Amino acid sequence: MTPKNYLYEMIRSELTWAVGDEHVQTNDADKLGHSIDYYWVPECWHDRGEKPTPPDFVVHPGNAQEVAEVLKIANTHKIPVIPWGGGSGSQGGALPIYGGIVLDMKRMNKVLAIDPVSMTVTVEVGINTQHLEWEVEKAGYSTMHFPASIACATLGGFIAHRGTGVLSTKYGKIEDMIMSLEVVTPTGEIINTLPVPRHASGPALTELYLGSEGTLGVVTKAVMKIHPIPEARKFHAFLFKTMHDAMVAGSKIMTSRLRPCVIRLYDETETAKLIKRVLGIDRKGAYLVFGFDGPEKIVDLELEEACKICRALDHEDLGTEAGQNWWDHRYKFFYPPFMFHVPQAFGTLDTVATFANIEKVYWAMKNVVQDNFPQATFIGHFSHWYDWGCMLYARFIIDEPPKDPNEAVALYNRIWDMAIRAAIKEGGVINEHHGVGLKLGRIMRDLYGPAFKVLESIKKTLDPNNIMNPGKMGLPGKGE
Amino acid sequence: MHIKNHLDAINACRFCFMCRHLDPVGNVTFREADTPRGRALICDRMRMDAANLKNADFIETLYRSALSAANRFHCVSHYDETGLVLEARKDIVEAGLAPERVTALAKALEKASFAVKGKGSVLYFGEKPELYPGCKVITGKDAGKALEVLGFADASKAVFDKFAKAVEASKCKTLVVAEPSAYDFLKDKLAGVKVVHCAEYVLAAGVKAGRARKAVYLESDFLKNYCGNPSAPRDLLKKAGYALLPFGTNSEESYAVGEGAVVYDELNPALCEQLCKRVYSLSGTKKTLFITASATVRDTLKKYNPKFEIITLEEAVALLQA
Repeated sequence: MTPKNYLYEMIRSELTWAVGDEHVQTNDADKLGHSIDYYWVPECWHDRGEKPTPPDFVVHPGNAQEVAEVLKIANTHKIPVIPWGGGSGSQGGALPIYGGIVLDMKRMNKVLAIDPVSMTVTVEVGINTQHLEWEVEKAGYSTMHFPASIACATLGGFIAHRGTGVLSTKYGKIEDMIMSLEVVTPTGEIINTLPVPRHASGPALTELYLGSEGTLGVVTKAVMKIHPIPEARKFHAFLFKTMHDAMVAGSKIMTSRLRPCVIRLYDETETAKLIKRVLGIDRKGAYLVFGFDGPEKIVDLELEEACKICRALDHEDLGTEAGQNWWDHRYKFFYPPFMFHVPQAFGTLDTVATFANIEKVYWAMKNVVQDNFPQATFIGHFSHWYDWGCMLYARFIIDEPPKDPNEAVALYNRIWDMAIRAAIKEGGVINEHHGVGLKLGRIMRDLYGPAFKVLESIKKTLDPNNIMNPGKMGLPGKGE
Repeated sequence: MHIKNHLDAINACRFCFMCRHLDPVGNVTFREADTPRGRALICDRMRMDAANLKNADFIETLYRSALSAANRFHCVSHYDETGLVLEARKDIVEAGLAPERVTALAKALEKASFAVKGKGSVLYFGEKPELYPGCKVITGKDAGKALEVLGFADASKAVFDKFAKAVEASKCKTLVVAEPSAYDFLKDKLAGVKVVHCAEYVLAAGVKAGRARKAVYLESDFLKNYCGNPSAPRDLLKKAGYALLPFGTNSEESYAVGEGAVVYDELNPALCEQLCKRVYSLSGTKKTLFITASATVRDTLKKYNPKFEIITLEEAVALLQA
């Protein structure tokens, strides 16, 4: 859209009537910040002097009614609306690839109520999740949602792409934490999903919006579970000769139905690289750490049982201190210079599979990356563990990608494509907790098969003008 | 360009979101530009193409920063994003592109003059000379910090030279400084003169415990985030009889309403009022005494709510000693 033309000014005026003049930005500084998220491609483009597509307008709504007004304006003019939380998504899900309106939700950041009887918090989803945790802690509770991006992202961002935190093994992913949602539909109606997540009153609408990445409406409010602060939280770490041995230990802990709050297993390469660099543990092998929380007596008992499982295998016991040290530095991995950064090319090829398949998935991805892209290093850890399997947080890193941005991006996309397709072939899925976004949309149709038509039909029915985040998740782009 | 001296911060911060929750301005404007990432992206664009230095939106954003350094304090590697913004401001000023209100403010600050009065071997620089009976007093306003923060390096040095000359003439070898911004500015600059913050000086001189009173101590951007978080202010208040209450949602956020930018209220009054409103709203309805190390912070918080009960460290100690 050309700024300063008649239509542009008309839309700008309408937006200011909806949310107030001071909450509509069209200046270069704001547009720049919203043209780049945590997706490697816009970072690379910026680094090479290219200019990623900016939005035409950045709008900060103050309540659901204002969101509804903005969506009605967008429908009238048939322009895209891209919900934006913290902007720290790694899949390009919040990028305004066609310009349009970026709906920055951060102004909707109020904690509305804490229910100590049912242990829930009602909150506007534009709240930064670290701020939410602080507010909840002040009342004597915790959300138990501790992702590495806790300080970067909003609750709405986690809802949009089914995010997860470090303690997911006990407290669940965001979809397990959410009770109900308030949503503004693409045509501007404000709706609420049922107040409880377990029922037999038809399909779960809450689930429809969890992971919809802003393509089916705008989530404005959530009721979320909260938890008591545990009396104790204790950790233990072991080193195994191979990743396979460590995987056997981890899966036995889970299938014995112990309830760790966290398990994390680093493959040999990541142990040698990152565990050494961040935690200073300089050993060959696969580093496994786990923790339990709750009443101290139960924690001690469960921790001992988990240690027994590990000690029955070929192991080196690194003790509680090495486990606690990991917990204390769990976010350090994500700060510069510990995190990978442009001009390096890097991607988190995260996926999830059953215990029966997860190692096959790991090797399929690793082999495809190493065989086809010798310039890439492949590392991985297993982060979020369930009764039936776990998540693989695999990464590729290229220290010196091609200088030409188009060549670099083509190489990057090729690695993603081959690695994720290899994972799917072995029982993995596109992603576990970072979402699909722009990056992986092209693979959705293959992943879902004929079922993708169901998603397309829902989208078409709910969003007849395709204004909501077009071109993401493999759904049609603008004008398609 | 001066910003090239902070390439490490540009490279580290331009794609990093890890401290965004602590930017006091971003937390009230909710704008991506008002975060260390947003500002580093702007500086990167300026680095890549000097024509971007002329972008009025970019310039405004850089002068909107409250320079609290809470982000730097939080960062595990302490990348100096506020230092980067200061370098960018220098580039803007040297290119003759500073906004009109910034230039006008700088012109007023350049007129600073200093004089030394009284007797003693210790020199005091602050607003409460009556609390330091055995000391000489140096009068005058900002010693060059405000100009430095605005990006006027040469003018800052000229004002500092006037201040240094006055200190030298006093023949004192110890300078007690009350305002944290002045302490931060002067502590390593005066050859042969020991610069101490008033909290440290009064604590060493000894205070008697007064009657017990509860209060909130609002941390200073300069003392906490720039000067290594000395314990002296809190130790002094506790010794004087204050029971310090927790405030806000955590111990990381800055509630210093633009202290780091020294002349923030003069520069961005509407935004400064928003920062103040955040403090008022967090303080709730219960009447609480607030204590700050900075007279500027006190005056700013009083300006937008005259009923807000806030005093400086020096006033707090005097209150309980009376």
